[in-house]
Amino acid sequence: MPPFDDWNVIEEEEELELQDSSFFEGKRDVILFCIDCSESMHELRDDPVYENVQTSHLLAALDAAMQIQKKKVIVGPNDSVGVLLFNTTRLNEVKGYASEIKKNSFVYQQIAPISAPTIQELIRLIDEAREDPDLLRNTFPPTQGKKMPMGDVFTSCNWVIRDGAPKTASKRVFLITDDDNPHPNSKQLLTSSKTTLIDLTQAGVRVEPFFISTPDKPFDPTRFYSSVLPSNTIGEDEDEEDPAMLPTSISITRIDDLLSQMRFHEVPKRALFSIPFELGKEFVIGVKGYGLITEQKKGSYKYFVDLGDRMEVANSRTVYLDEDQQVEVDRRKILFGGKLGTATADTAEEDEEMSMSITRTVQLGHKPFYTADEIRSFRSLDLEPGLKLLGFKNKSAIAFEDNVKHALFICPDELKYSGSKRTFSALLQKMLEKDKIGMVLALIRRNATPVFCALVPQAEILEEGGWSEPAGFHLIFMPFADDIRTAPITEAFRATKEAEDAARAWIDKLCVKNGAYPPDSYPNPALAYHNAQLQASAFREEFDAEAFEDLTRPKYDMIHKRAGALLKEWKKVLSSDENYNAVLVTTGTKRKADVSVDEADLRSRYTAGTLDKLRVDQLKEFLKGKGLPTAGKKADLIERVGEWLDKY
Amino acid sequence: MGASRTVELPDGPKGETRRVELTKLEWSLQFVKMKIQDMIFNGRKTDQCGVIIFGSEETNNIVNDKNGGYEHVSEYIPIGQPNASTLARLDELRASETAGDPIDALIVGIETQDIYLEKKRTWTRKTVLVTDGESPMEVDEWEAIVKKMEGLNVSLTVVGVDFDDEELAYQEEDKPAIKRANESFYGRLISALPEGFGLIGSLEHALLTLNYPHVKETKSALLSTTLRLGDVEVRESEAIEMNVRIGKCTSSARAASWKKYFKKDSSEDHVDEEKAIFKEVKRRTEYIIDRSTEEGEEDEGKGKGQDLSMDVDEEKSVMEEEKRPEKVEKEQLVRGFKYGSTYVPCPDGQFERLNTKKGMEICGFFGKENLNRSYPMGEISYVYASPTSVPDQLAFSSIVQAMSGKGVLAIARMVRSDGADPKMGILLPIVWEKVDILLWVQMPFADDVRHYTFPSLTTLVSRSGEKITKHPYIPTEEQLEAMDNFVDAMDLTEAAKDETGAPKAWFDTRLSFNPAIHRTKQAQFHSAVESDITIHPLPPPHPELTKYFDPPKRVLKTAKHALEECKAAFKVKEVPKRAPRARKDGHMHAQDQDEDMILLDQKGPARKRPDVASPPKSQAANTSLSRAGKKKETVDDSETESESDEELLLESRQKPSAPGLPTPTASAEPEPDPQRAPGRIIGNTYPLKDFRQNLKQGDVVTKAVEDLGVVVREIVGRPFASRRKDEMVECLTVLREACLIEDEIDAWNRILRGLKADCVGKDGNKDFWTTLQKMGRQMSLISSTEARRVGTISDISESTAETVSAFFWSIPVH
Repeated sequence: MPPFDDWNVIEEEEELELQDSSFFEGKRDVILFCIDCSESMHELRDDPVYENVQTSHLLAALDAAMQIQKKKVIVGPNDSVGVLLFNTTRLNEVKGYASEIKKNSFVYQQIAPISAPTIQELIRLIDEAREDPDLLRNTFPPTQGKKMPMGDVFTSCNWVIRDGAPKTASKRVFLITDDDNPHPNSKQLLTSSKTTLIDLTQAGVRVEPFFISTPDKPFDPTRFYSSVLPSNTIGEDEDEEDPAMLPTSISITRIDDLLSQMRFHEVPKRALFSIPFELGKEFVIGVKGYGLITEQKKGSYKYFVDLGDRMEVANSRTVYLDEDQQVEVDRRKILFGGKLGTATADTAEEDEEMSMSITRTVQLGHKPFYTADEIRSFRSLDLEPGLKLLGFKNKSAIAFEDNVKHALFICPDELKYSGSKRTFSALLQKMLEKDKIGMVLALIRRNATPVFCALVPQAEILEEGGWSEPAGFHLIFMPFADDIRTAPITEAFRATKEAEDAARAWIDKLCVKNGAYPPDSYPNPALAYHNAQLQASAFREEFDAEAFEDLTRPKYDMIHKRAGALLKEWKKVLSSDENYNAVLVTTGTKRKADVSVDEADLRSRYTAGTLDKLRVDQLKEFLKGKGLPTAGKKADLIERVGEWLDKY
Repeated sequence: MGASRTVELPDGPKGETRRVELTKLEWSLQFVKMKIQDMIFNGRKTDQCGVIIFGSEETNNIVNDKNGGYEHVSEYIPIGQPNASTLARLDELRASETAGDPIDALIVGIETQDIYLEKKRTWTRKTVLVTDGESPMEVDEWEAIVKKMEGLNVSLTVVGVDFDDEELAYQEEDKPAIKRANESFYGRLISALPEGFGLIGSLEHALLTLNYPHVKETKSALLSTTLRLGDVEVRESEAIEMNVRIGKCTSSARAASWKKYFKKDSSEDHVDEEKAIFKEVKRRTEYIIDRSTEEGEEDEGKGKGQDLSMDVDEEKSVMEEEKRPEKVEKEQLVRGFKYGSTYVPCPDGQFERLNTKKGMEICGFFGKENLNRSYPMGEISYVYASPTSVPDQLAFSSIVQAMSGKGVLAIARMVRSDGADPKMGILLPIVWEKVDILLWVQMPFADDVRHYTFPSLTTLVSRSGEKITKHPYIPTEEQLEAMDNFVDAMDLTEAAKDETGAPKAWFDTRLSFNPAIHRTKQAQFHSAVESDITIHPLPPPHPELTKYFDPPKRVLKTAKHALEECKAAFKVKEVPKRAPRARKDGHMHAQDQDEDMILLDQKGPARKRPDVASPPKSQAANTSLSRAGKKKETVDDSETESESDEELLLESRQKPSAPGLPTPTASAEPEPDPQRAPGRIIGNTYPLKDFRQNLKQGDVVTKAVEDLGVVVREIVGRPFASRRKDEMVECLTVLREACLIEDEIDAWNRILRGLKADCVGKDGNKDFWTTLQKMGRQMSLISSTEARRVGTISDISESTAETVSAFFWSIPVH
């Protein structure tokens, strides 16, 4: 969302094009953490991070829930979160919900928009529990003996969500448990779990299980859950089901990885578009598009108004006015046209009314402007949303510089066209085999403009226990002729072979073997800095700027240790180049006086204190060459030149 | 210029050829207006023009004022920055019967221009002479004119109506002798001018050229910054710091924006009755708060769908009006952030920024083969060594060459100005003929990568943990073979030809124009020069814009066979849209978004029978059967679970051959189950579709009517029937109509009574009944009068039927 300043209001049509990220923010997300509190979850074990500290699965789960809330509050400030504990004898003291929840479950945190106090309360609980290992057991005593029926757990989830979640939000339950078989030998409880889960699913709630597995107690989903969970519970959004298949991505995880596993599911997966992909005439499959790489920006500020008891957000609204009458113009009556130009002094004289904006007068009944529908058709060239295959090219046909915006990812959509999956899969397989890329014409939304894209095949890469690269196509937006700028500089001095070799020596040392660009190593420092201050301010804590670490800064020590000596050597080779001291004749200064100044000359003048003998344009030219500002009086310029010479 | 001429217009909406009669003057003015509109479009103060007409009745020009002569030449529009009224004035021009000398006009033009530009010596001077070439002219002094023009650096373009054109292979038939002579004179005149200062062409050609997409060249200023490696502050001797320049390599161009206009109310003061005046709207931003709804409910509807069309906006504004938001003055507002529902004050609009230093810092290198092509996030920039420093150029060159030789990219952190947010990116070395450069592109931070999980396309695992190798999702050998041929056949690598006729790849970014930009511009120009776009519709887009919209014909031809094979092998079928269905979640969310419903549709209870774990032997045969059973369970919103279990049993009893793996998308049966209960011909899924189908066949109408009645009553009686209310009303409307025509009036009356009994009874759908009541007679019982009108009989009297519509409630239930 752009800031609401008048000067920064984007033209509406442009807004339509720019909106793909706001799409994510538009829909609200509700997560109910549903955490098992049974005996084994309470069991104390050594903390993997802190020495001499005891932790439990429950504590880790609560911690993860807290971390996710902290993250979510920034990504989606309108999202809601709740925490439900089950298999505990703790009673719900707060009455007055629309419905009671089942016995042995406890609502620790009602579903509500995330707020600083609720997060702080959870943080306090976690901190206290770290101090006092028995605290959690005392606060949420586990049930003894028989476990709470999972069916009741799902029913409780259903009720809690029903009471708290806004109807249009996407609703999910993060189920955290370490028990792979809560009801051994009870066919009946299994069936009831199944049916209550179906109820939950039908209420539009998705269950995403996080199963904790330990070496001594491995989690076997086939014992109970695989027959309870619908095959598409997780990962897959509104995708098809096939009862014979195992859910694609049950997270069975070590407790230490719980948080990172949850991170994968933190943002609900939402397709940006679902459109047909025409491979040939009458050969059409369905595809869905996702934005896997999307710039995460700082939240923009909002305007608040003080209502006395609370601060309320003021929303901005654009109104269109008839300036003369100061009345609002009906949006439906607005027509669109090019600009009419500015009224010059001459025409203003002719005009009876001396208004700045000019009008256009035509014969009555004539229509000199377009409707909104018409201008939309000019943008889309009357194409329908979809991809259209144009053909295949060699992989080398897409250059590095063929890039204008982030790529999108597409995968098949079986729901719109049956057979999409096998066709897509075959196409992918063959393109990978032949090392080809596809060229497509794309109109991804009705309001978008047609673009040409390269279809780059992505093979499936599975990584143990971690994030796997999914199979599909990357849709890379090609620049148009209109987007390509010619290179302004076409000639420069070039290095000798010796210099190249000298550079090669230190580059060799600074190369990551088999490495690639590691996005995970670079959290956005500016964003983190902003969010840390936002959180501190919300928690009413002091922000500690000293503690902030920018992980994107180069590792100087490592660089110097590996390549320091070689860099020195390289510099030596460079300075021996015959052109090293050549004076550049600046071109394009025909009409101007010669402003080039030799650095050596300047330096000697500086030491002699005769810099003021130089002309202002000479000083400016030198500063410009060093990328320094050239504003100010002559004295300022001299001072700035001096500073630079001191430094180098 | 007064003669008429037929000009081809774009094909009409039905593909018919359209022509319009224009005078040559009107046709020529199109060119003039286009040229002037170009200036208005660019809006530069240094783009100015004036118009001199010759052959006018009156004489009004500076040369005449001074020296006399130069008759019938008028300065029509004085030189200045043009705007819409300039164009409007041109429209007022009418052809005259008077002749004027174009050479006189040219001299007047040059003179007028020279006086205007007396103090603006550096301006470029252009003259454009538009003529039909039929005016007599005195050419004696033409060499003197050429001299004068040379001296003033004036260029001349002659645009002639129906001049011969080699490129368009046009030659006017019966060209008058005077025109032939004049044309050849203009040719001589132009070639006498210095190189690049003269141009002659036909009007048709000129208009065509104007429509050709021209890329607007933008020169951006280079950003001066530094490239660093290592710790330049403490370990300077071992670190690099050099001056570099950064410039744009790709930059998304956008279509010109539209201005918004409205028609002024004609009742307003001093508005000519005959004229319509359009004025630009003024935009104002207002701030509103909404006390009526609770916190958390605001923002509803923002970005809800993908289609933020005008309609949605309208709806929103209507909604907002209903909610009566309160306007607040901007002065009352304070800036702040939302941390969840917590308000965080921040009067500056931003917190303290990270302390950063301008420049680009290299963090390391990696092999270019490991570049993930989906990571680059935006536009590309050129990076050059400073053009003013030789040492920097040498150093830069050595690094680029070494990187290129080794085949590596650099990871670099970029800060555009002191204190700006750092960005991560990569640098790619490029060795050109005379210069070495780097290309920069931004790469994602950890925060920018979304780790969604996707199901594997190739690895399907059964519930028992076994890998499934045969499945409709997995392509067969035969299908792979078909795709193999298709990919080969659709190759573009040699699908085009270069100038020499040698094969080259089809599609070149440098020749691919952004259709939206150029189409929008064309439309804006068109509406600027035409006063009524209904009579003069916008011509079709220039073929250059759409040349890449379809694969090259040759490739399509080659691939024809392969495509047919693919179609046969893959059997892809479009799945018809399913009507949203009711769900049983026990609380009313009737107005929920579609999305939820879709979600629900596919997320119905999956059947988890242990016996389906084994891979099927003959899927295709079993598909439709097992599928039907499954879907029934999924969508049947019966009250209890046991009931659907029963159905399941029933199903398996009826179709004992269905134990296989259900394959929801197998091609054998792509249609969703229509949910027809045993013995019924109308299903619950698409009752109307089924009904119409049956009606068309015409053999079992009575049965169809009966069944639709039952289906409607069933659906209306279920929870969440409001979801399908409109559908049901439509069903009933169609049903009533059919009953009238098909003589099923008794059936209709019976159905309606039954429906009423259902609705008004205990736990009935009273809302639905109210809706029907509101529809009045068109949904009433069918009376005998009405029946007679169509030639059938009804046992309901007209008055009863009227009563029904008037007092629907009072009708006795039979």
